Amino acid sequence: MSGIPLPIVQERLERRRPAEPPTEDIREKVFELEAAGEWIVHRVPEPYTEVTTKYGRIKKIPHEGLWHHKSCGQCGHIPGYSTSIFWLMRHLGFEYEDPKDQTSCTAWNYYASATSNSAAQAAVALRNFGAAYQSEHFPLIHCGTSYGHYKDVREELVHHAELRAKVRKIMDHLGRPFVMPEEIVHYSEWVYAMRNEFAARQVLDLSEVTVTVHPACHYHKLIVEDAIYDPDIYGGQRTAVVTAVAKALGATVADYSTWFDCCGFGFRHILVQRDFTRSFATQRKIEVMVEEANPDVVLTHDTGCVTTLDQSQFSARAHERKVGVPVMSEAQFAALAMGAHPYKVCQLHWHNTESRPLLEKMGIDWKERWAEFEEEVSMLEAGEKDFLTWDDADRTATAASAGV
Amino acid sequence: MTLAAHTYTEVPYEEKLRLFDEMRADPRYEDYLYGCYECGICVAACPSARFYDFSPRKITQAHARQDVELVFEQLNDDVWNCSQCFSCTRCPRGNNPGGLITVMREVAVGNGLGTARDALEGYGRVVYKIMGTGTQVSPDMLQPNAFPDWGPHVKEISDHLETWRRALQPETLHTTTTAWEVDDRTVAELYYIWYATGVMEMIEEVDEGLHEILEDVMEEVLEEAGFDDL
Amino acid sequence: MSDAVLVIGGGPAGLEAARSVADLGTQVILVEKRNRLGGTPDEAGYAALTPNFEPTQEALDRMRARVVDRPEVTLRLGSSVVEASGEAGAFEVTLEDAGGGRSTVEAGAVIMATGFQHFDPGRETQMYGYYEFPDVITLVDAEKMLSEHHFVRPSNGEEPKSVAFIQCVGSRDRRLGNEYCSKVCCGISSKQAIEIRRILPDARVYIFYIDMRMYGYWENQIYWPAQEEYHVNYVRGIVTEIVEKGGRLLMKGEDTTMGRPLEVPMDVIILAVGMEPSQETRNVASVFGVPQNKYGFVHVPGEPMDAVSTGVAGVFVAGAAAGPKDLEDSVSMAGAAAVKAVSLVRRQGAA
Repeated sequence: MSGIPLPIVQERLERRRPAEPPTEDIREKVFELEAAGEWIVHRVPEPYTEVTTKYGRIKKIPHEGLWHHKSCGQCGHIPGYSTSIFWLMRHLGFEYEDPKDQTSCTAWNYYASATSNSAAQAAVALRNFGAAYQSEHFPLIHCGTSYGHYKDVREELVHHAELRAKVRKIMDHLGRPFVMPEEIVHYSEWVYAMRNEFAARQVLDLSEVTVTVHPACHYHKLIVEDAIYDPDIYGGQRTAVVTAVAKALGATVADYSTWFDCCGFGFRHILVQRDFTRSFATQRKIEVMVEEANPDVVLTHDTGCVTTLDQSQFSARAHERKVGVPVMSEAQFAALAMGAHPYKVCQLHWHNTESRPLLEKMGIDWKERWAEFEEEVSMLEAGEKDFLTWDDADRTATAASAGV
Repeated sequence: MTLAAHTYTEVPYEEKLRLFDEMRADPRYEDYLYGCYECGICVAACPSARFYDFSPRKITQAHARQDVELVFEQLNDDVWNCSQCFSCTRCPRGNNPGGLITVMREVAVGNGLGTARDALEGYGRVVYKIMGTGTQVSPDMLQPNAFPDWGPHVKEISDHLETWRRALQPETLHTTTTAWEVDDRTVAELYYIWYATGVMEMIEEVDEGLHEILEDVMEEVLEEAGFDDL
Repeated sequence: MSDAVLVIGGGPAGLEAARSVADLGTQVILVEKRNRLGGTPDEAGYAALTPNFEPTQEALDRMRARVVDRPEVTLRLGSSVVEASGEAGAFEVTLEDAGGGRSTVEAGAVIMATGFQHFDPGRETQMYGYYEFPDVITLVDAEKMLSEHHFVRPSNGEEPKSVAFIQCVGSRDRRLGNEYCSKVCCGISSKQAIEIRRILPDARVYIFYIDMRMYGYWENQIYWPAQEEYHVNYVRGIVTEIVEKGGRLLMKGEDTTMGRPLEVPMDVIILAVGMEPSQETRNVASVFGVPQNKYGFVHVPGEPMDAVSTGVAGVFVAGAAAGPKDLEDSVSMAGAAAVKAVSLVRRQGAA
């Protein structure tokens, strides 16, 4: 080591000056429009946690009384993802609404095919926000793309009066109130705000588990100033969600050199031009993670990313690429850490990648858990019950024998 | 990239200009395009630039230079390579190349361009699903013939679909034809939005067959809900 | 009525202004918040000046020598301006020292030479990881090493094999709000590139840029020698991300000349950080009611023909307090400001 006194990272952080945010705060404009009688602002209910976003502004993350704005890809193909989010909420004792009057944000289709336009997209968004407002529950957005898209819609509606007028007319015709929420909140922001609650209820020891984190493009690259940044995570230089949760649960978060890269979902590509998606996911993400970080699991916080990284590995293995890492959302990971059933709640059997070695490392007896799941399934097949309930989900052989 | 003057010579300049003007008329255009000093940050961040001969910088520059010929070429050959990740919004000038591409795609679709139809070949069932039911994908779309490269795992899901869906605790997820249960009124509201915003007209341009099917499905529902002043 | 001129700031602009006023035979009070004269080049430890490679302290020593120990100059080190009242010809200004002690001075004219601060790269639109990676440094960090005639990787103290500069960090960026060009960074980076190549003849040095701002003689004094004698590689295309790979830094950019994305490993990456108004510039402008432009620099309504008058009569500006300036600009403005200040004071005296 040279004797030259050079500023290195810690010293730099100590010397750092606070600075004013460079961009306008869109929320101020949202409130101005309410004052001008243009729309109703759906306030964030109390209690809420204050978190910091990219330029140090405060964002309010509500705890309960939420309207779950569900994700197509999650509910359709990886339902353990949505189920885990509900499970986490129930285990913290929070009341919520799981609505039937919710449509998809339709942004997956929009980014894939452009068989839509900005008025339709804005109307779809505000119809959902109106429905949430009417139910007196604050919207929590499950999908990363829905979240990024809705942030974009908010910008467009604030800056274009004509578009606003068009959408208001449609809402009036539908009999829906014209509502913009005070904050657009992604579920991973709620998970971030609650991470210490999860850690307090953790039953598994994750100190041997290495995790790599993949941040969703639409979470932190669309409208960059509205994403959570935390000075304690990556020195506040990268978005903090997912990483903060994994750390709070005691796992080791390993870095890799393509952290900022997209997963390759492509919206249209994953459905009809999959060579791009699976090549990109394999070569730019999974292989790099395996080579540089050797993780036990890849965690991400978006539907498309879980789908892409999870499903692309099968064909890559056929080409003898260095893949083979389980992929799941941080919600499923946190739920597992708190003792959720890997199959009844986290529904890992819908995932393509092999997660059993990970479960073993986490101290979960997957053989027993799978047997329990199969038992439930046979009861469903035999018509002994129609559906699995939340009580069914938390019941395990071990718990039963322990008299729980 | 070849010299733009040598491609699509069969299309008259007036038509190319008309399409270019349609893009510029989009209210978002001025939010997405400022000047370009050709720094290349957008290309550096772009996943598609690594796999295709694709450059968000060249698309932005073509617009900034108002190069009608080049924009037309890109409208046909390049815009469907974009992965719409919006990494390019890191642009220091405030440009949104991905956003410009969204506008370009809407113009391509709304004008029924052959290359747009080609790009969306095989995608019709997804448009039907999202427009007709209110969710983009559904459990019953997990068929081996739809996703052969996802492996035998898809078959396993497909074989157990009905029971595995009943093995989900959230009540709204006991569905197979939609991702979650969407009530009838909500579906009707969605149909109304597609008509009222001109989306149905766009669909008619790019896929007449799909448009017919959707119209059939939507007509009755809209009438029942009382949304027939379209 | 006062026949003295108050110069606020003891950097190159302030030193030249104070000297000029004194040489014209007028009393000058030179206020500097630090305990020594020299300003930012001194505080930040600049090694050598652009374009002639003159050692910074030698140049500053010459400037300091011309203001100390002379009857026309009252030196107030370790002091800041906290309050002001009055008008051209009769300003009353309150100074505060480090211990909190206050005193008042009177001046007929004021010259603001309060300078700039370097942009904090943690706020940068691109992902440079300045607060994550020790080997990502700024021009200022590099100057400190170069003033000791060393250049090493901060992480391990070893000599780097590849060094890259990234231009326009914190400048020319609408998303940050710093839409302007900081004027000197291209020249300084090229100068440092030459210095590094002199110290480490086996190192490869790259400069990644959007445009090379080489005004006037800088073209042939710095840019051409950097390429022709020192084989510094200029690549047209800027970098968006810096990550760590295999113990080195990996940067992602586009080589726009070749039209393709590039990823190159580097040992040290130097961010060419731009200028922003210093806290003192903001404070003093506020104290005197001097209008600032939207970037926080002093607004100069008479530009370009009058480069030194502010929106307040009797208050003049010299140097980077008015926006990005090189040293030639700063000392030229100082001279012009001194003449205007002294004429004002003499006119008032004669009236």
